[in-house]
Amino acid sequence: MVCIRKATVDDLLAMQACNLFCLPENYQMKYYFYHILSWPQLLYVAEDYNGKIVGYVLAKMEEESSESHGHITSLAVLRTHRKLGLATKLMTAAQNAMEQIYGAEYVALHVRKSNKAAFNLYTGTLGYKIHDVEAKYYADGEDAYDMKKQLKGKKTQHQHHHHHHGGGCCSGDHKAEERTAGEDKKGE
Amino acid sequence: MGVPLPPKEANLFKLIVKSYETKQYKKGIKAADSILKKFPNHGETLSMKGLTLNCMDRKAEAYELVRLGLKNDLKSHVCWHVYGLLYRSDRDYREAIKCYRNALRIDPENIEILRDLSLLQAQTRDLAGFVETRQQLLTLKANHRLNWIGFAVSHHLNSNGAKAIDILEAYEGTLEDDYPPDNERIEHGEMLLYKISLMEECGLLERAVEELHRKESKIVDKLAYKEQQVSLLVKLGRFEEGEKLYKVLLSMNPDNYRYYEGLQRCLELYKENGQYSPDESDQLEAVYKSLARQYNRSSAVKRIPLDFLHGDKFRVAAENYIRPLLTKGVPSLFSDLSSLYEFPAKADILEQLIIELENSIKTSGRFPESSEKELPSTLMWTLFYLAQHYDRRGQYDTALKKIDEAIEHTPTVIDLYSVKSRILKHAGDLSASAALADEARCLDLADRYVNSDCVKRMLQADQVSLAEKTALLFTKDGDQQNTLYDMQCMWYELASGESYFRQGDLGRALKKFLAVEKHYSDITEDQFDFHSYCLRKMTLRTYVQMLKFQDRLHSNSYFRKAATGAIRCYLKLYDAPLKSTAEEEDEISKLPPSQKKKLRQKQRKADLRAKKEAEEKNEEPTTSGVSKSGKRQVKPVDPDPHGEKLLQVEDPLVEATKFLKLLQKHSPDVLETHLLSFEVNMRKNKILLALQAVKHLVRLDTDNPDTHRCLIQFFYKVGSMPAPVTDSEKLIWNVLDAEREIFSQLHDKSLIDANKVFFEKHKDSLMHRAAAAEMLHVLEPSKKAEATKLIEDSTKDSCTIGAPGTVRKLKLKECIIVHKLLADVLYDNDAASRWKVRCAEYFPYSTYFEGHLSSVAPSSAYQQTKKLLENGTANGNVEKLEALKI
Repeated sequence: MVCIRKATVDDLLAMQACNLFCLPENYQMKYYFYHILSWPQLLYVAEDYNGKIVGYVLAKMEEESSESHGHITSLAVLRTHRKLGLATKLMTAAQNAMEQIYGAEYVALHVRKSNKAAFNLYTGTLGYKIHDVEAKYYADGEDAYDMKKQLKGKKTQHQHHHHHHGGGCCSGDHKAEERTAGEDKKGE
Repeated sequence: MGVPLPPKEANLFKLIVKSYETKQYKKGIKAADSILKKFPNHGETLSMKGLTLNCMDRKAEAYELVRLGLKNDLKSHVCWHVYGLLYRSDRDYREAIKCYRNALRIDPENIEILRDLSLLQAQTRDLAGFVETRQQLLTLKANHRLNWIGFAVSHHLNSNGAKAIDILEAYEGTLEDDYPPDNERIEHGEMLLYKISLMEECGLLERAVEELHRKESKIVDKLAYKEQQVSLLVKLGRFEEGEKLYKVLLSMNPDNYRYYEGLQRCLELYKENGQYSPDESDQLEAVYKSLARQYNRSSAVKRIPLDFLHGDKFRVAAENYIRPLLTKGVPSLFSDLSSLYEFPAKADILEQLIIELENSIKTSGRFPESSEKELPSTLMWTLFYLAQHYDRRGQYDTALKKIDEAIEHTPTVIDLYSVKSRILKHAGDLSASAALADEARCLDLADRYVNSDCVKRMLQADQVSLAEKTALLFTKDGDQQNTLYDMQCMWYELASGESYFRQGDLGRALKKFLAVEKHYSDITEDQFDFHSYCLRKMTLRTYVQMLKFQDRLHSNSYFRKAATGAIRCYLKLYDAPLKSTAEEEDEISKLPPSQKKKLRQKQRKADLRAKKEAEEKNEEPTTSGVSKSGKRQVKPVDPDPHGEKLLQVEDPLVEATKFLKLLQKHSPDVLETHLLSFEVNMRKNKILLALQAVKHLVRLDTDNPDTHRCLIQFFYKVGSMPAPVTDSEKLIWNVLDAEREIFSQLHDKSLIDANKVFFEKHKDSLMHRAAAAEMLHVLEPSKKAEATKLIEDSTKDSCTIGAPGTVRKLKLKECIIVHKLLADVLYDNDAASRWKVRCAEYFPYSTYFEGHLSSVAPSSAYQQTKKLLENGTANGNVEKLEALKI
């Protein structure tokens, strides 16, 4: 079995290692700090029975836009831990937190056009829809699908505008570096 | 302060400051220059210009101007502040704090400077100072939320949680009843959760529970609310309520292992060591049976009981757990169960169980007593499991048979090749392992996981340049390795450094180890921006967690490995120093003039070429290195790509000591720390520090072979020192005399006897025998034959291989160490080759021992795969080559 739980600061190094081992889009440690210190409820990890981090979801809120919505920065599950439905569980946990705490109305993410496994996961099990295509979104020139999923959302109730916070640390630089990992489509 | 500027220039000065803040540096410089045209000595303008230049990577000019500015206007708080900022940017926090303090002496209530000072105090953990500054800030501006929170956090960090709670409550007292407005609900809720966690930390549990209850509606994060509540209930011993709450949490997330643990605690059925009485096991079994009915989709409720069940009950539970996962084809099944292999009885049951399943599927296509026909893939996954099972038990032959059977069954499943690669690694054939991993990689070139796995295996096989090329396939600018460094890819740097070290390339090894060290210091620096950010964001619980994480950052295993690697490089460098340039010159001068000239010309040409290349690269247009935001500059070319300059340190032991200190501070309970300390201090002749190391080793693990080595070597060296002359030497002798008696091993015994006792006590362990043999050789060099015999006798009773259910007694890694000991320390070549022959038989896949099945032998798996490839059974090679061309 694999444990799904909220990430703590102590997990960040292992999350970065997991990311570097299996995904082409990578981030410096500071970007992980930025996520957890801004939206500590939106990071989840999958920890195997030996205590190793074998997957994670790194997510954030887009606070500058008018509609409060979440964004999946990065999702990864090690190849050795496929077929356990981990990606679905991680995504569901992050989406629930976005909705419950931040009143997000929808979640967005980018996925490489060629990443069929991930695309199937998002459209099939998780109910995302293609919203747009972003040409040459990735550094190597590949296009991305801009995908969205509507959350059930209790509309305006918790909607929430941030004042003067102005992005703070290290925002913005990493936009072009997101990619989500594949999970097989059978994942429940 | 200097003479005030006229209005026009004063406005320009404001523009410089604004441009600096908005990062429009060129504009700032322009404004500064037009002031300086009229007032060339204006201190504050000079300072600001310097600060701006600093952001444009013109550091030397920056320091010059800032210092000049200060000299022209020593009474200006701006000049001092700027000087502080400059030091800050170079991470020289102590100097920066001094400058801020000078600035504050001139302008004691300057909020900006106080705030900057407080950030540095948080960064350097000057906690008393931090409290003081935050108090000043609150006094100056009590209407700012941030100042209340900052003051509270400072007290918390300074170990005064109670005071922090008081401050937060006082702050709440300033708020209206209907607070917070909608747009601050989350922040306010976070503040409340922070306050309640402080109460928990201070042991005010009842008060925390009450407060939590009272503020329920204001806490937005309901999950955190429940987790906080249950933690308090358990601490208060209110187990019934705790149990209920854990069940609620489990219904929300039945995959959180920690909730099960908490539930067991509430039922008073939890033990840290996992050792339960039969009665407790029965109770737990009942608990999990009922949980399994509730959460029938959770695999945790089925997996956890395998830990506490035994015998037949274990067998039944294991079978129920394993069967559906084999049918489904879950690749991680073996790793999920691997911790059970620490109990031989359970490992035996698993072996019987899986073999039964295998036989049943092979004969009937079904699991035993099942009517369902299994898919063909079930057999493959069963074989896949068995291969890993035998690998774990050290029966590499059987493991390879099973994995080959699986590959033959379904040749397209990548995982099979990865596992085969791992088995070969364990069996000792590193090149074959790398080849198999490359095979796996070629089956899916878009999957970075198989790429990384392959890179790892290549590095283990010391194929560093191939590994580098392969790794670069997944970095964006394929031509430079910088992205791996930029992205802090530490596993790669460590593995690569270790490989260079094994190959004796100390420069490149050091380069990699120091890169990892740099990442850690960058991570430390990363926290700086968050000291103010988190106070605004109110993510206070996570912020404090982050600070604690930072405080123990250097105890992380990656850092430890890097520091250890670096120290080992420096030790080697000390033991076999490089030739100095003078020595080289000396050698050149001995050459005949014609050759001398040729050599010199050659060198000059090489230098020129390197310089030209470096310049060209630096001038390359900014196409490759720029990110979309356009901020990133092209990196200057590394002036020392092979780490040659790193080897030209004045005193390697001084460098080693720097790392050693970090290990001693952050990893005091790791044996290796003190082994290294022993090695360094013996070389430095720091007798008392070496003694200190020996004492730590004894404290951590008296029976460890390396502890024994250090202990004996230490007192042997002490015994051979000349009699003390000076007072301090006499003092040291007295200390040593007194200390020797404290070691029970040496009590009333000669070193020779102590070594004998150690040998008798640990006869059954190869590594202990080797240590005793090595020390015998140190103490009585004439008894070399006896020493080798101590080692060689070890194989007498452990050479039975292959019987089912047996686990190997000898480990390959240890046998290699022993071989090196025989050859390089005891210098007994005959014994070494006898040892090699024996080990080759025992580890037929080992390339080190040139086993007959290893890739150095013609009949090996490696050679066979190669043949297969050549016959076109797999299409890896071609793709591999093509991929590498990118």
